Amino acid sequence: MSFRGVKVPANSASLEEARTRVFDFFRSACRSIPTIMEIYNLEDVVSPSQLRTSIASQIRNHSHITNPKVIDMLLFKGLEELNNVVEHAKQRHHIIGQYVVGRGGLVQDLGMKDQGASNFLKNFYDSNYF
Amino acid sequence: MGLGLLASRALRSSRIFTSPVSRNAIVRTIVSTPELQNPEASAAAQSPPEDLPIRTPVAGARVEFTNPDDAIEVFVDGYPVKIPKGMTVLQACELAGVDIPRFCYHSRLSIAGNCRMCLVEVEKSPKPVASCAMPALPGMKIKTDTPIAKKAREGVMEFLLMNHPLDCPICDQGGECDLQDQSMAFGSDRGRFTEMKRSVVDKNLGPLVKTVMTRCIQCTRCVRFATEVAGVQDLGMLGRGSGEEIGTYVEKLMTSELSGNVIDICPVGALTSKPFAFKARNWELKGTESIDVTDAVGSNIRIDSRGPEVMRILPRLNEDINEEWISDKTRFFYDGLKRQRLNDPMIRGADGRFKAVSWRDALAVVAEVIHQVKPEEIVGVAGQLSDAESMMALKDFLNKMGSNNIWCEGNGMHPNADLRSGYLLNNGISGLEKADVFLLVGTQPRVEAAMVNARIRKTVRETHAKVGYIGPPTDFNYDYQHLGTGPQTLTEIAEGRHPFYSALSNAKNPVIIVGAGIFERNDKDAIFSVVETIAKKGNIIRPDWNGLNVLLLNAAQAASLDLGLVPESEHSIESAKFVYLMGADDVSLEKVPSDAFVVYQGHHGDQSVYRANVILPAAAFTEKEGTYVNAEGCAQQTLPAVPTVGDARDDWKIIRALSEVAGVRLPYDTLGAIRNRIRTVAPNLLHMDERQPATFSALLKPESGNKTSSTPFGTAVENFYMTNSITRASKIMAQCTAMLLKK
Repeated sequence: MSFRGVKVPANSASLEEARTRVFDFFRSACRSIPTIMEIYNLEDVVSPSQLRTSIASQIRNHSHITNPKVIDMLLFKGLEELNNVVEHAKQRHHIIGQYVVGRGGLVQDLGMKDQGASNFLKNFYDSNYF
Repeated sequence: MGLGLLASRALRSSRIFTSPVSRNAIVRTIVSTPELQNPEASAAAQSPPEDLPIRTPVAGARVEFTNPDDAIEVFVDGYPVKIPKGMTVLQACELAGVDIPRFCYHSRLSIAGNCRMCLVEVEKSPKPVASCAMPALPGMKIKTDTPIAKKAREGVMEFLLMNHPLDCPICDQGGECDLQDQSMAFGSDRGRFTEMKRSVVDKNLGPLVKTVMTRCIQCTRCVRFATEVAGVQDLGMLGRGSGEEIGTYVEKLMTSELSGNVIDICPVGALTSKPFAFKARNWELKGTESIDVTDAVGSNIRIDSRGPEVMRILPRLNEDINEEWISDKTRFFYDGLKRQRLNDPMIRGADGRFKAVSWRDALAVVAEVIHQVKPEEIVGVAGQLSDAESMMALKDFLNKMGSNNIWCEGNGMHPNADLRSGYLLNNGISGLEKADVFLLVGTQPRVEAAMVNARIRKTVRETHAKVGYIGPPTDFNYDYQHLGTGPQTLTEIAEGRHPFYSALSNAKNPVIIVGAGIFERNDKDAIFSVVETIAKKGNIIRPDWNGLNVLLLNAAQAASLDLGLVPESEHSIESAKFVYLMGADDVSLEKVPSDAFVVYQGHHGDQSVYRANVILPAAAFTEKEGTYVNAEGCAQQTLPAVPTVGDARDDWKIIRALSEVAGVRLPYDTLGAIRNRIRTVAPNLLHMDERQPATFSALLKPESGNKTSSTPFGTAVENFYMTNSITRASKIMAQCTAMLLKK
């Protein structure tokens, strides 16, 4: 499955239209997840649902944006990225770094040490500036 | 009333009509009305002031008329201005909002009148006059913008630039040079000098001041500063004519604790900072207005930084504290901020070596140990550079752990925190100028608080106040009487047997200054009660004058006493099992038992680190926001100029985090919350930049029954240049110690 034929869509006339386009984009991304899992050999590192969550969270990062033009721009960037991924323009570590490990980094301290600690203490361990 | 005046009235009313903003809305310090002017109203009418734009005085210049009869009126460019008798033409121009160019004139120094840059035209005077040296006379018509004045300035500039080298691109003064600025504004666009420029041999003034004497324009500001303010006769003028140069008469270093100020007052790049030489350009620096913490004066400073590095420290104007000077220690200790820094939490392993660990592990270890000892075996010592917020957090934390043995180093083991008058400079630093007799008890202000000493010197110079000194032989830069070395002299004065007693009791505004070095003596209470006896007999404490002062040594002392950091028992450190040192490096750790667990929280690997079991890296005063109270009781704030080093954290944050790990969480998460907590303990710490004098005088104190010992007073500061962990890490301060303190 390739998105080579995909054209830049015309500008959304309203927020409603932009919104439906976002859902369409999400659907097409979800549909390409099995292909992505296969071509990047991701079965042993991530599950399809985790990838879906990752895509959804990237979309939600921009949930505050209400300008249809900006949404169109972001959609275009997302589509371009998806196209690159599906076309195997990336390598396995790109996908793992960006969508599997995410911003938390490879070494995640997910122990029980900080549970119950206040926000102050968590921030304190992080840096001096908060 | 002449027709002209009427016409001008009409003019004025029409102006009000056209402009919606009333002229009265603009606040002017000096108001003059034509009605009050002089007999020749017609003269005023000829040049109606209404046509002139409203001017604001230069640099906030203000005038106070103590005696309204002394007011005279002069006209600056036709603009009338009221000034008191005795003011110079230049000062009148400043009040009128005209900035006269000048090189030699400095408002805090005597008038030399030798640069001739301030020439202005005065009506009926045959030649342009040097405005800095000419007293203004009633009705004088000063013209600052006429062709004659402009030509005079241009000529002076040409003469000055004749022998001034063209090395602005490599000059450290470049960008903040008076000569550069004024030659742009007033100079000619070409010179007529074709001969060789003169050159002068550079002088060696020591490790602080770099000289490029060829750049000197002989304004003699530095000579006047050295003799008048610093009180050393080191600098002078040699030769005449084109052979004239500034120098020390013989090959000699400038040995003053204020020598760095000549860098600021030098209008050209002849005297520049040696440590700052070729390090940065002034326009790439970020200035942060902060407070000095090397002594208890709390001099106002500006920290100039570039990126994460403090590049230099400059004084900030504060008439009540440091005027516009700072001591050499304040100005040059900043390179210590880059050396010996602690940047990671560390735990001492079984082999006695420190191992860097994460904050999580370090705090967990400390929290575990603090629960294994008995509450009365916990001791906390705040260092001399601690800010009020972290001292509050330390006290709250240790109190929650059940211990009440917290104090600040330098305060002794039984400090008097009950009456603020018992540890403050009650007159205030600027208030010392009113004094006519000083009695210095066990204090060497020149090394303990150089800016206070500069005030005393100013007073002695202006009013010939008498100074009596009790203590070990020491250096003064003004006339003084050495009365004795120990408490027995004090007792003699108290009993009226000493000749100085009559001077003290006959004085109008006598001042006693007791050094904080006495806090460490065992007979401290007895000495203070003798001093209070003198104060009572000599009528030194009156409702309008509280002349009994204490001169503190460290930046943290006053705030710690305000917050009540008083140890419960005198010998707590001998039986301590857990010692928390918050930047305390001058506390003697020999008495700490060998099995005690010592936590050192601080920014420098200084003396106490050798004994520490755990190191928690903290921020230095240039990296954090903190409140400090100076010796006179004025709360001031430091602001972060540079980021913290490595993994260091702010002091109060470390204690707050530790309290949570230890299970006694402190109830504040922000600086604002911790200040709210301080408000309940010592609200005066929140009144920033405002002196909060003591409410009750020391006379309320019950008399102590103790006897004074005969041990003479000691010196509190052995080495002026190295008094705290930052200065001890500084290379420049080490050079100063080696070169300037050479006996």
